[in-house]
Amino acid sequence: MRILGIETSCDETAAAVVEDGRRVRSSVVSSQVKLHAPYGGVVPELASRAHVELINPVVDEALVEAGILDAGEVDAVAACHGPGLAGALLVGVSAAKALALSTGLPYVQVNHLEAHLYAGWLEEPDLEPPLAVLIASGGHTLLVVMEDHGRYRMMGQTVDDAAGEAFDKVARFLGLGYPGGPAIDRLAGEGDPDAVAFPRAMLDEGYDFSFSGLKTAVVNHVRKHSDVATRDVAASFQEAVVDVLTTKLLAAADEAEAPTLVLGGGVAANSRLRSRVAEAAEASGRRVFLPPLALCTDNGAMIAGAAWWRLRADGPTPLDAGVAPSLALPTLP
Amino acid sequence: MLLLCLDTATPQVSAAIGVDGAVLGEVRLGRGRRHAEHLAPAIEYLCRELDVELARLSAIAVGLGPGLFTGLRVGVTTAKTMAQVLRVPVVGVASLDLVAYPLRHTNRLVAAILDARRGEVFHARYRPVPGGVQRVTDYEVGAPADVVADLVAAGDEVLFAGDGALLYRDELAEVDRSEQAGPSYAFPSAAALVELATARVEREDFVSPEDVRPLYLRRSDAEIEWKRREAS
Ligand SMILES: [Zn+2]
Repeated sequence: MRILGIETSCDETAAAVVEDGRRVRSSVVSSQVKLHAPYGGVVPELASRAHVELINPVVDEALVEAGILDAGEVDAVAACHGPGLAGALLVGVSAAKALALSTGLPYVQVNHLEAHLYAGWLEEPDLEPPLAVLIASGGHTLLVVMEDHGRYRMMGQTVDDAAGEAFDKVARFLGLGYPGGPAIDRLAGEGDPDAVAFPRAMLDEGYDFSFSGLKTAVVNHVRKHSDVATRDVAASFQEAVVDVLTTKLLAAADEAEAPTLVLGGGVAANSRLRSRVAEAAEASGRRVFLPPLALCTDNGAMIAGAAWWRLRADGPTPLDAGVAPSLALPTLP
Repeated sequence: MLLLCLDTATPQVSAAIGVDGAVLGEVRLGRGRRHAEHLAPAIEYLCRELDVELARLSAIAVGLGPGLFTGLRVGVTTAKTMAQVLRVPVVGVASLDLVAYPLRHTNRLVAAILDARRGEVFHARYRPVPGGVQRVTDYEVGAPADVVADLVAAGDEVLFAGDGALLYRDELAEVDRSEQAGPSYAFPSAAALVELATARVEREDFVSPEDVRPLYLRRSDAEIEWKRREAS
């Protein structure tokens, strides 16, 4: 079964065709990073306007790349309906419903967070729950144990800034530009991660995260020590974030007895986080799955992939469904 | 000629199917902010009840605004995507034109005014001409007071239409020899879209789907702020 998946929840306009929730036939992502760079963050109205311009060419390209001549040849059309920016989500959902309406195909709405969980299957078709999954990006930071398909235990979330947001804010303060993640990753490679002992907030307090204090600590340190090398600040900041993320992911996996670790979200592209999680997995005898960058950041393939599982479990979504900007992951009590 | 016509620029979602310039069926839903929920089922309903197959459409027409951004994007994205899948042309018509056109039989100046929120309105003025209306101003966004000042200076006899005209009826009443067209003329008319789009399809006056863009008239807040900061 081939599903066309559409993702427009934030600043990527993306579409993909995925077969049986696993095999990616095509995946097209049109990033708006350059559009938002001057503002130091995603501007919702600009993102929505860009989605309207980009959605049709992106869908077209995804179909062509998958060797599909007519949209009616796929078996279902899916779109992310939340969480995300309302105006942005509406574009993808409207396009998907228009496709479904014009072709008579079933429409499937997909939870963006659930889609990140299912990105794992796109690279690793034999992945078996339970999994301990860390999803960290500019918009979300959550630690989930996936006990089975559709059964998610929320272990922890950020109580303030998302991890990726902390990277962006610190990068902006250090004059490294937007987006902050890749810039800090690069510079941190040349710096000393032990140069500054930044705080590891809530390290031993459950599974929730807090990153706003860390950002303040960076600002205060640099103001007090004007001679400190930016690369050392970047490396020490990154180490503090990675330390907390890795420690909590491992602790959650321990508690849930999950033999497999999975990373998702844009922050999962961070080279230090990847190597630290890989080391920790090896040391604790666990499998680790580090998806390629293209599947970590927002993309249409994860939507099409998750849609296959959703369609099997719940059937199609009626066409009177809208968007859900503050949708949560449906978790076990 | 079979047309699907959509307008979602205001709190009202409207969809109509037209045959050779006449309305075969029309759905209007005025619950506001539920454009995405209402539009697809409205189209589905029309097709089912009127026994129309989407594959037989000659073109899709859509109101381009100006209007409420999120609603506008639902209609424009739906029209463009359906046109892409069904391989039919798209016709875009300004939603203000769809407010003015039904009043073409008056001999007064028609001021079409839609609520733009934040104390502003989208507006344009039209003169009735044989067979329709002719727009005599740009599509603009501004304060109701500015609309009043312009009209008072011009001294024309004026007929007001649109939900913005109703919302600011007290302010607009300062214009001498003016009258409100009333609630029946509050929203862009799907019937007007059928008529205007049919004429355009006959002339093959199409836009390629990638050139179908909402008429925003307003920059995003961030851009406004950015330009302001750059200037200072
Ligand atoms: Zn995401």
